[in-house]
Amino acid sequence: MRLNLKTLAMLLAVLLPGAVWAAAFTASLDRDTLTLGERATLSLAFEGGLPGNVSLPQVTGLHMEQVGNSSQNTFDFSGHGTTVTTYLIAVAPQQTGEFTIPAINAEINGQKFSSRPLKLIVGKAIAPSAAAVNSGDQLAFLKLVLPKAKIYVGEPMVAYLELYVRDDVQPNGNFQMTSSPTDGFNAGKITEQRNQRRVQIGNHVYTIIPLALPLSAVKTGSLALGPFTATISVLQGSHEGDPFAQLGSRSPFFHGEQKQVTLATEALNIESLPLPQQNQPANFSGAVGQFDLAASAGPTTVTVGDPITVRVQVSGRGALDAVTLPAQDAWKNFKTYPPTTKLETTDQFGFQGTKTYEQIISPLNNDVQELPALTFSFFNPEDGQYHTLTQPAVPLTVKAAGTSPMPQIAATKTSNEEKPAQDILPIKENLGTLVANKMPLVAQPAFYAAQAVPVLAFLAAFVWRKRTDNLANNPRLRRQRAVAALIASGKDDLKKYAAANQPDEFFATLFRLLQEQLGERLDCPASAITEDVVDGHARLRNAPAALRIALHEQFQLCNQTRYAPVRGSSELNSVAAQFEKLLGELQNLKS
Amino acid sequence: MKPWLSFVLALVCAGNILAADVSADFVAANKLYAEGKFTEASAAYAAILKTGAQSRALLFNAGNAAFKAGHLGQAVAAYRQAELLSPRDAELWANLAFVRNQVQGATLRESRWQNWGTMLTLNEGAILTTAFFWALFVLLAVRQLRPALTPKLHSVTRLLAALTLFSGTVLALQAANRFNAAIAVVTSVETIARSGPFDEAQSVFTARDGAELKILDRHADWVQVADSAGKIGWFSQKQVAVLPGA
Repeated sequence: MRLNLKTLAMLLAVLLPGAVWAAAFTASLDRDTLTLGERATLSLAFEGGLPGNVSLPQVTGLHMEQVGNSSQNTFDFSGHGTTVTTYLIAVAPQQTGEFTIPAINAEINGQKFSSRPLKLIVGKAIAPSAAAVNSGDQLAFLKLVLPKAKIYVGEPMVAYLELYVRDDVQPNGNFQMTSSPTDGFNAGKITEQRNQRRVQIGNHVYTIIPLALPLSAVKTGSLALGPFTATISVLQGSHEGDPFAQLGSRSPFFHGEQKQVTLATEALNIESLPLPQQNQPANFSGAVGQFDLAASAGPTTVTVGDPITVRVQVSGRGALDAVTLPAQDAWKNFKTYPPTTKLETTDQFGFQGTKTYEQIISPLNNDVQELPALTFSFFNPEDGQYHTLTQPAVPLTVKAAGTSPMPQIAATKTSNEEKPAQDILPIKENLGTLVANKMPLVAQPAFYAAQAVPVLAFLAAFVWRKRTDNLANNPRLRRQRAVAALIASGKDDLKKYAAANQPDEFFATLFRLLQEQLGERLDCPASAITEDVVDGHARLRNAPAALRIALHEQFQLCNQTRYAPVRGSSELNSVAAQFEKLLGELQNLKS
Repeated sequence: MKPWLSFVLALVCAGNILAADVSADFVAANKLYAEGKFTEASAAYAAILKTGAQSRALLFNAGNAAFKAGHLGQAVAAYRQAELLSPRDAELWANLAFVRNQVQGATLRESRWQNWGTMLTLNEGAILTTAFFWALFVLLAVRQLRPALTPKLHSVTRLLAALTLFSGTVLALQAANRFNAAIAVVTSVETIARSGPFDEAQSVFTARDGAELKILDRHADWVQVADSAGKIGWFSQKQVAVLPGA
């Protein structure tokens, strides 16, 4: 019986979709306290219908983003069914503090609802104490390791973030750095290293996953590095009986409870020392590290103006990116062109490798006998000393013959090469043309309107061509137009002859016009048209009787003119008027 | 004198007076530069630019003065603006490359097609495309008016159609880059990129004076940027010069 009632209620729910169930809206957070770097989930649950006009509030310091939604049908004990739609919003704090997510307004089936405000406290991630670490209670923790506490400004160094993961948990592949404060340093990308190792801490064995952070100080003084914070998702459970765990590798059979762990390191201070001023070579250009120098030049027998390629290789360990070839003052007898550079690194951090410069120079006169010695100075942070490397002068044979064209290598924009080592080019003396700061052409509607002109010209030509072709292929149309032109000029002639009282010319013209017009209408030669055609041609036989009578009259008038006395101008004008009327009727006659 | 003529004369005179003022200020700024007063010269050039006057030489000199005064970012910004007016100026390339070479840390590098596509200014590209387009349609119209010429004009028409299509495509890419893309040049000695558009947000990375970064988004007085290594962060617009895409 109970089952039957429920079935009935379900049937009613299906049959009465318009039935009004109670609507509701609630907003809730899965947690109200978290540390910076973690995320909370805000659930917006809409019961009794789909929501409309929901907008997320803007809270300074909180980033909210919808990450999914779900829908669930539920039935209560009385059999009433309702649908609960839940929107899931990820809330990512971007600073510490106490936040209030204000009331959220929503509309369900025309009813307006408002949630209650929610509080969220965001604390700072704190590195675990030494005692907590040594106890072996931490599932995972992060440690910042520095190779040394004092470095010179510009000296490259690799710091390590060591991620310790306890043996009874397995990383779930969701490690994410949430804060990497490296103010005062030029820091590279944090990369995972392969040389993992295991260590016993307390009663547990931890796997250490090293993460390398290449960096170099860009300013002097005491610089704080860190605290670095991160989050990692781990699975916690037992490895008992798991063959993969015995081998120390990740197990595909491991299924445990998923936990999110917030990680934080201590902040460490590094003393960044300035490069000593004492004994600094004049040509020192900021290279810090340990380097070797190699150079070659060729060809060594040239004429004045010929190009000589000088190839300089600086190899070693240091901030190779920042290494520049110093200006060679001894090259004043050469015209120099901007060098090209190529950097080849042999380690993953870009600290070890070779930087190659290729520079084109050309002797300015034939007094040049050698390419002067090339010098390069650097600061070695290991011994705290400046070192100057020198490549010996290269003997040259320079002939005074005509100049050769120089290779076009100067300052091509597409190259990433290093540019002139000396200085920037001087300022311009002339102001030049002042340019109004107006919109570019492509942003002006007139530009697009102007493009219509040639298109319209083409269309006009196209239409003209079509009409011309049409006329050329249609002799009737052509004749129609020719007759129309003839009639137009003939009418003027008639008026002229009438005014001059010249009946012979008048009637001759009238007769000819009648022939032309009838010939065109009846599609037969004009010379074949006589009065007989009025009654003889099938098309005219079907024409209105008045038209035929008028045609007869006109033909007879033309014939009578040979015998009748001279007529006056008024009579001729009257005939011309009748003719014009007749023409109108003839032109309406279907051809 | 007729009122409209007076108005035109007044406009012409006002323009000349403005140009004369700018020219005098320009000479004065050049003098400061020549005397080695680079900071003052940089301020003088900036004051002229603030009036809305622009010329290649003015921006070039402003870049030089900013560089000599130790402001790499301002120099890069001035050179890049000059590049929009005069994209084929070898001296400008040389100075821009020289200054870029002094910039430390990661910075945005233009792709090969961007470099190639900006060999013409946007207006030059527009005029060139218009010329090809007009010539193409005039030729098509001539073919309609004089059909006998059609066989002779066939290859020229095809060439013009190809040129129109090509230059139109380049122009479209160039315009899209100009209007949709933007570059931020760091003008502070060291600028911290934040994870959000507010001062209290966590620092993500640090960019040095002169670094060029691609703008991804804007929010109020903040710009979201990505550096060449793909790191993303927010800068206050006070710390950067925002320039249109190349």
